[in-house]
Amino acid sequence: MGINQLSTLEHILITTKVEKVMNWSRATSVWPVTFGLACCAIEMMAAGASRFDFDRFGSGIFRATPRQADLMIIAGTVTYKMAPVIKTLYDQMPEPKWVIAMGSCATAGGPFDSYHTIQGVDKIIPVDVFIPGCPPRPESLIYGFMKLQDKIMTSSLADRYKDIFEEVG
Amino acid sequence: MAEPDVPPTPDMPDEAPAGPYVYDYKAAPNRQIVMPKTVPLPSLRTYLAEQKAAAAADEAKWLKMQADFETAKAKAEAEGKDAPKPPVRPVPRKDDNDMKTPWPQEAKDADLLLLQERLGDKVEEIFEQAGELTCQVTKDSILEVLQLCRQDAALNYEMLADQTATHYPAATGFAFSVVYHLTSISRRKRLRLRILVPEGFLPESACAVYPGANWMEREIYDMLGIRFANHPDMTRILCPEDWEGYPLRKDYPTVGWGQRDISFREDRGGRLDLIALQKAGQLGINLKQPKAD
Repeated sequence: MGINQLSTLEHILITTKVEKVMNWSRATSVWPVTFGLACCAIEMMAAGASRFDFDRFGSGIFRATPRQADLMIIAGTVTYKMAPVIKTLYDQMPEPKWVIAMGSCATAGGPFDSYHTIQGVDKIIPVDVFIPGCPPRPESLIYGFMKLQDKIMTSSLADRYKDIFEEVG
Repeated sequence: MAEPDVPPTPDMPDEAPAGPYVYDYKAAPNRQIVMPKTVPLPSLRTYLAEQKAAAAADEAKWLKMQADFETAKAKAEAEGKDAPKPPVRPVPRKDDNDMKTPWPQEAKDADLLLLQERLGDKVEEIFEQAGELTCQVTKDSILEVLQLCRQDAALNYEMLADQTATHYPAATGFAFSVVYHLTSISRRKRLRLRILVPEGFLPESACAVYPGANWMEREIYDMLGIRFANHPDMTRILCPEDWEGYPLRKDYPTVGWGQRDISFREDRGGRLDLIALQKAGQLGINLKQPKAD
């Protein structure tokens, strides 16, 4: 049986790239950490509840431990005392992992230009998507999450290790 | 009661105070710390002194107007002109604004009078303001006063509703006021106790009388740097343990400190970086050190 010959397997098989399948499976099953810091967490909970239903995007399973999670939604004000905790949680998440900075506090400190607030969570951990708003509505969070899905779909396995390869030489 | 004395207003330097938390004010002039120049401590004695000073200033102004009139009159007579009009004393404008702050008044409440009778010289001042009772006592006798308020059958203040402190950098003789808000649930009354403490003084902890004072005193220590004697656990409660400075002091900058570089507690001083570099050197790996700039 030649390889160019049509067979019954054509009807039940899809040929694609491994990378694309991996990206598709990752983008449609992003599990966030159950982690809220301030009033943005209320909107995040609303996004997970039935009216907005985060589950439609495969992201409704809020995990109680960072070791089972792929996504960290920084929903709220990041204080100086909380910063080491966030860093620890981020380090405990397995690769691949993504971060959404939700609301103006997590994005840039918000109204708290003060001694206790970190001016944007990107000072301590890398952020993939920034969502403005004070607080952003669940639609904004869902839109930001769809942007993250686009980013995951365009990512490549080589990209993630490119920096390390360059570092080692 | 001692003689009324107006708290003096010290001369403040134009430049900001030198300290560990001072900014580059020329780069961000809107972030300059504005230190208070007066002591807005609510007190009957201060209020009476202010009234007296205002009346004296009014009288001096009137006398100066009269003297000016006399000289102008003599000058006009010498030059042969008409005499000027005699001055009229200005009547204070009637203030119909009923939203102004109620002023302190003489203590008439039985609790305050009882406290003064029992404590004698230990009471520095008692007054009422807007129906609220305030008793200022000497800073060494606060524990005794709290015990009296808690255990005396006629007072019977069971609850310490709040304990807080304020920084008065412009004051002379004291730097902070520590305020105890007592509530009597059975008698439905409230009482405010106040002590004035200088920098470095350790007031006696209220935990022995009111156990609920534990965290409130820790918060006062965290925010203002007043340490309490005989406290079971005198550590910071809100800020991290290695925090520098006391944020509720008036000379602490309110904005901008969040923008400083973050260094995590386990890696203060680059200890982990050093270990990583040593390990990399043993393994023969060229680990590039990230540059701060």
